[in-house]
Amino acid sequence: MGTDRELLAALKSGDEAAWEEAFRRLYPSAFAAARHPLASLTPSEAEDIAIEALTLLLPKINKVAGFDELRLLVITIASRKAISEKRRQLADKRGGGAVTSLDAMQDDETMRFEPAERLTARLSGSELRELSGLLEEALAALELRHAGMLRDFLVNHLSYKELAEKFQMPIGSVGVNLARSLEKVRAHLQTSPKLWKELNAFLR
Amino acid sequence: MDTDSFTKLALRVLANEATEGDHRSLKAELTLNPERREEYEQLRITHDVLRTAAPMADAALAREPELPAYRLNELRSAVRQHFKAEVLRDKETSSARSLKLFLRWLLAGGGVTALAAVVIFLCVANRSIEVGLYQTDQVRSEGASIEPGDVPSAKLIMFDQDTPFDQWQSQPLAWYEHAKIWVDNDHDLLHIVRRVNHGQIIMETRPLAQTNDGQRDQIKQVVESLQSQ
Repeated sequence: MGTDRELLAALKSGDEAAWEEAFRRLYPSAFAAARHPLASLTPSEAEDIAIEALTLLLPKINKVAGFDELRLLVITIASRKAISEKRRQLADKRGGGAVTSLDAMQDDETMRFEPAERLTARLSGSELRELSGLLEEALAALELRHAGMLRDFLVNHLSYKELAEKFQMPIGSVGVNLARSLEKVRAHLQTSPKLWKELNAFLR
Repeated sequence: MDTDSFTKLALRVLANEATEGDHRSLKAELTLNPERREEYEQLRITHDVLRTAAPMADAALAREPELPAYRLNELRSAVRQHFKAEVLRDKETSSARSLKLFLRWLLAGGGVTALAAVVIFLCVANRSIEVGLYQTDQVRSEGASIEPGDVPSAKLIMFDQDTPFDQWQSQPLAWYEHAKIWVDNDHDLLHIVRRVNHGQIIMETRPLAQTNDGQRDQIKQVVESLQSQ
């Protein structure tokens, strides 16, 4: 298959070889998104989610203007599905998610997936692209050590104790470092007021 | 509580690193200083956005693992099913569009126009008159026999054999015909088969004029009277 444009045209016409090529190209992103740390699904569960996300691209193909949009689309679909799947699994474990009191509801650990579910459900491909760019710039502007620590905290979900050990610092300093780095990242995200407003609207 | 301490406390709560004491302190701080609520909200949103979006941004750069070969058939089937369904949908849409166009044409007056054209055609069509003549009768008789120019609105049909002439006579009027006339020299009669009101067909006979000239004038008159009916 030639250019991305040609590939996209072939996909729209239902060319099976083109779809196979697209699936091969998009699968790594779909799988990585399905292994979202918030969902922490097993590789086999993530594979199922990734395949499902790829098939969900089919009805959306005519709304896509470029091949790169498909990658962003499959990432948002796979992330959302993975997080929802994890929430469903936890709810099942707790007896179908039935809660009996407000305290129980507040303690419900499935609640922690809510912001991520809301964000992945509403974040468009172009917003994800812009957000990714801003995040990359913000992390690049941090000291390497602080950027690494923030990434380990956010992406790898390391605890304060683990971070203190990994970065060889007193546990009391971990919070300070993370808080300052987060403030800097937030300041950078706010350089795009429109996107920041959207994110606030999604997550409030 | 200074800003740094508040941010550290808020982050501990967000990161599930907080003790019960931290939770109480945060609640108390937010009650005492309501302006801190927005500060907390902004930190929470930043935390949630990064926790959710940072792994998604990383996923865009992923180059492995490869698509498992054993999942390919599943994907191929999905492609086939989707596009097959789409073709059917397109066909249905196309049929619906044709029907819609037809209905629009019909309702917009096209149907009325077409109906009028058909009625006019039928009216014109069933004005057709045929005049059947036996060729030898024309040759043998004296005087000028009838010619197509004498009855331009009718169709002259010449027969040179009995059988086809008999068949033509016994054949009922076609849907487009108004009348047919023929000369019966054996019995000196002029036969007229014609349509009257409501499509009813009647047959009448008249004494035939004796000469060719007379017959020609007689046929011309009959044709003209039939045309005017």
